[in-house]
Order: sequence, then C-alpha cells, then structure tokens
Amino acid sequence: MAENHQKEPLFSVRNLVVDYHSGDSIVHAVNGVSFDLAPGETLGLVGETGAGKTTIAKASLRILPEYSVERIEGEVFYDGKDVLKMNDHELRKLRGEHISMIFQDPMTALNPVKTVISQIAEGYKTHHNCSKAEANQVAIKMLEMVGIGADRAEEFPHQFSGGMKQRVVIALALACSPKVLIADEPTTALDVTIQAQVLDLIKSLRDELGTAMVLITHDLGIVAEVCDKVAVIYAGRIVESGTKEDIFDHPTHPYTKGLFAALPDLQKKVRRLSPIEGLPPDPCEERRCCDFYDRCPYKCGHCKSYDHTKAIEVSPGHFSRCWRTDATKEGE
Amino acid sequence: MAALIEVKNLQKYFKSAGGQVHAVDGVSFTIEKGETLGLVGESGCGKSTLGRTLIHLNEPTGGEMFYDGRDVTRLNTRQLTEFRKDVQMIFQDPFSSLDPRQTIQDIIEEPMRLATRMSKSELKEKTIELMDTVGIEKRLRQSYPHELDGGRRQRVGIARALALDPKFIVCDEPVSALDVSIQAQILNLLMDLQETRGLTYLFITHDMSVVKHISNHICVMYLGQMVEKSEKEELFDKPLHPYTKALLSAIPTTDIHHQKQRILLKGEIKSAINPGPGCRFASRCPYATEECRQGVQLKEVLPNHFVACNKVEEINGL
Repeated sequence: MAENHQKEPLFSVRNLVVDYHSGDSIVHAVNGVSFDLAPGETLGLVGETGAGKTTIAKASLRILPEYSVERIEGEVFYDGKDVLKMNDHELRKLRGEHISMIFQDPMTALNPVKTVISQIAEGYKTHHNCSKAEANQVAIKMLEMVGIGADRAEEFPHQFSGGMKQRVVIALALACSPKVLIADEPTTALDVTIQAQVLDLIKSLRDELGTAMVLITHDLGIVAEVCDKVAVIYAGRIVESGTKEDIFDHPTHPYTKGLFAALPDLQKKVRRLSPIEGLPPDPCEERRCCDFYDRCPYKCGHCKSYDHTKAIEVSPGHFSRCWRTDATKEGE
Repeated sequence: MAALIEVKNLQKYFKSAGGQVHAVDGVSFTIEKGETLGLVGESGCGKSTLGRTLIHLNEPTGGEMFYDGRDVTRLNTRQLTEFRKDVQMIFQDPFSSLDPRQTIQDIIEEPMRLATRMSKSELKEKTIELMDTVGIEKRLRQSYPHELDGGRRQRVGIARALALDPKFIVCDEPVSALDVSIQAQILNLLMDLQETRGLTYLFITHDMSVVKHISNHICVMYLGQMVEKSEKEELFDKPLHPYTKALLSAIPTTDIHHQKQRILLKGEIKSAINPGPGCRFASRCPYATEECRQGVQLKEVLPNHFVACNKVEEINGL
C-alpha cells in the first residue's frame, strides 16, 4: 500500500460540487468531494441511495444532463488536464478511450436496435479511425474475452440474459483499453451467482490490462472483495476514506460504524439488528453542521460548532470527518 | 406445534408464446404456526409466483395447499373471503405498491372498509393504532405516498397488511428496495410484530444474509423446483446441493481477511419454458451426468434436511 501513496495520481477529483435544480429548490448533490486514483488502483465509493455516488461518476465524464445542472465546481484531473474545462473535441477523445464507464443497468445501457458487435465496434472505429472490418475483429476479441462466443456477436441485446448483457456492457467499456474505468453498480441488477462471475471477470480484466478503477456500490461485501481503497459517502460528502484495511478493521466515523452494524452478518447470531435511526438529511437544505448530526449516537454540543468540512487524519492516509475519533474508538 | 400451511407437489404453469412456463413445479413444504420459512433463489426461479399462489392470487395448475387443515383450492366464495382475511401480503417495491392517489389513511383502512362493518370513527381509530404499531407518525395520516421516504412507505404497506389481523403473511422481498440502514429498521419491525402477534411468515428474498437473520427454515428454489430445504443453521453450515453450495459461496462478505473460495458456475440458466424432465440445474452443475437429465427426486438425506440431487451422497461423502 505504501508504494501506492507515492505513485503519481492518474485521475483525481478536487473539491467537486454539483447542484441540481428541481422545481423551485436547489439540490446539493455533491458537496466538495476529493479523491485520487493511481494507475492500477481500485477505489470503492460506498454510500446509500441519494448519497451522490452516480453524480460524481457522471460529473467526472461530463455526462450529466445539462438542463438539470445548476452548478458544477471543482476540478477533475485526468493526466494533468482538467476534464471540466475541456472542449468538445477533447472530451470526445477522452470518453471511451481514456476514461470509460460501466453503467448500472445492462437492460437500458445497450441500444436495442443494433447488434452487439456493431455497438462495440462503433466506439473503437471512432477512436482509432480504422476500417469497419478491423473494428469488428476487435469487437469479437472483446466479446470472447468476456466469455461470449463469436457466433453470438450478430445478435441483438434482447437475445441475451441479464448477466450476458452486463458482460457486453463491460466489453463495450473496455474496447478501447481505457486507463480509468468507472463502474457504477455493475452487478446490482444481477443475481449473486452471476454477480460472482461478473466480479471475477472485472477483477481479472483489471489485473490483465492494468486499469485503474472507481467502483461505485452500496454493497460493502463487494468492496471488501475488489477494492484497495475505500471512500464512504454520506449526503454528498466523503465522511471517511482510507485503505480497505483502515475502513473495515478500524471504522472511525459513526456513519461507517452504523453501516457495518446494520448489516445482517452471516457469521454472527444477533436477535435484532442495529439500524441507523432516522433518515439522511434533505439535500435541498443548506447544512451548517455535520450531515450525520441528527442520526449520530455520539453527537454532543461541540458538534454543532465544529467545522464539518474539515477531515481529521486518524492514521496516515485514513481520514474521517468526525472530530470525536476518541469517543468512537471506545466502542471497539 | 401444528402446521399452518401445508403444500404438496404444488405446480403453477403459465402459457406463453413459446410454450408453457413451468414457474413452480412440484414444490412441497409445511410452515408451523409462528415460524418463518425463508424462500430464496435467483430472479425468475418462481419465488413470487409461489407466494402469490399460496395466498390464492393465482389458481394452481396442480397439487394441494392446506391452510389450517383446509384445502384452499376447494373453498367456496364465503370461505374464500374468510381465508383472505387471514392471509396477507407485503410487497417488494413500496414505490409502486401503494396507490399514489390515496392518502395514508385511505390506504391503511381500505381492507377494513371492504371486509368489516366498521364505522368511520372506528376506522380512523384503528388506522391510528396501526400507524402507531408500525412506527409512522400520526401527523402523516393525510399525506400521500410520494411525500414519504421508502422506509416509511414500506411501513404503510405493513400496516395495511396487518389491518385485518392476519395469521399468515407472505413477505415478498420486503427490504430489497431499501438501503441497509433502513432495511435493518424494517427487519426489526417484522420480527417484533411476529413476536407480539404470533404471525407466521413466508419470507421471499434473494439476499442470503437477510434470510438467515429472519428465518427458522429455509427453502432454496432453482427454476421452479425446490432443490434443498432444511433448518437454517444446518443449511448454512452444511449445504448439500451443488447449487446451494455455489449460492452460499457467491455471497460477498465484509470480512477482508478471510475471503472464501468461490464456486464459480459456468453456463447459462436454462429457460423455464417447456424445461423437460430432469434436474434443471444440470446445465450449470459440475457433477451432472446423463442420469441427472432424466429425472430427479427430492429426498430426506439427513433428518429434516431435504435435497433434490441424484449425486448428493457421492458429492458430500454421505
């Protein structure tokens, strides 16, 4: 892990802020998120519905719907250049070739009226300016890599099962050998046995191609299996980040601790689960103190006046956005 | 203890363009009073169809179902009305299972309005009582479902299911659409209700850790067939069917120091349309032989541990 810290980040997000407008109110979806990704590294972004995970992913590729975005601020650096300041031509080169994305729902991510081979070949042809035959060859190679035979290449998405469609989506994302892969809940729509196959495939392709990856998920089990680093997101902010060992062995932020406690554990027998009481804050409201304050079992008077945008370094590389690290450690 | 639900060789087929879909094919089990039977399997394996058939929302194609000793398929209209009061269902998606144009009060009181002769004030009183039971604030009585978050909406669904004081509830993936922190709240509520009201549950889910937490017995389904059934600890400690083994090994765990050995399945899931005889798992099973494609029987391999696999003794060295 120590070497990774010294590696120059390939992809880094700095103080990303995204606001949407919805009706008369403004939704603060992402409130100052920063993270770094070194080549070959995998970062897990974990959080619940509405925490802002997908918004971060889409903002990094500039594919948020323009009509609903009120404000994007911050920087997204890829190889030293700011994605948020790129022009259309640069963006087109970036997407697919350098940064690529696996979408959550394989049922809607594919074009239903085009064969899978033409969908994969299309991107490769655009980026490499090659002949159709050459692009088709690459597409067939990609399909074989994800375990789909060449005989099925001319079929349409509806002829495939869910797991196979997700494999097509993966082949599509990896066709141009991107340096960074953003996988947004790549297995959420799949059954566990198929999920195991797809995760195994993603892991082996990542290792083979040396792709850096941001894996977005709400499932801590998947993070444990695939990621090197973890960032826990709550209400549009990273509340805790560190190596996998930091987060799983020594969770410090009350929200992270709460997440682990709320999961039914296959190994332990408990009579009742310990849910996190209450609900996430309304993203339309400006918050002046810690986002987790209302639900936090460790809250005290000082939390209200503490600068909630400040993170504390608990141990080298392990950050928590809670000042009561001593209190939260006692429970261990 | 007496069995509240008894199912023998239940079948439910649907017609489709390609032929007959064998959604549920020869499933048998019993559920004791006050117990929870967990029904697990992957999408399309017939879990929900089984749940719906059990409370007689579908007419079964074949087989028998007994509720409290009576044959459900032979009830007359009046008896069926009585039966329907006793069995209720909690649905998966709290976003689409509630009528968006009804208030919370309307939604919860509707079953009572239809099945009892309660007066308006009684209905209101009972609704408030139910809202209190499931933990929704009284002030939300006149709100509409869209004003509520997922957890509260699911609580409304539970309150409605409880309105007629049922004895048996089919919970069809009640927490799958919820975040983990909210999921834990709902699971605790369901378990509390079971204790205080002596409810019997059929708990349908695809989440193995949830099913382990809430059930007494677990039944594993694969493409309409029951492949394994046993007491829950035994199923997790000693899975005997190759599918159950693969299923359990595929669950991602949060223990980063002991990652388990995966059993990765090859091959694709067979279609449930005209599946023919034999074990439906054979196309993905590493042990399958020609014999498996001919036929398979559910056997009691160990006391109270049923497995439908021809090779079970050989695989497990029994």
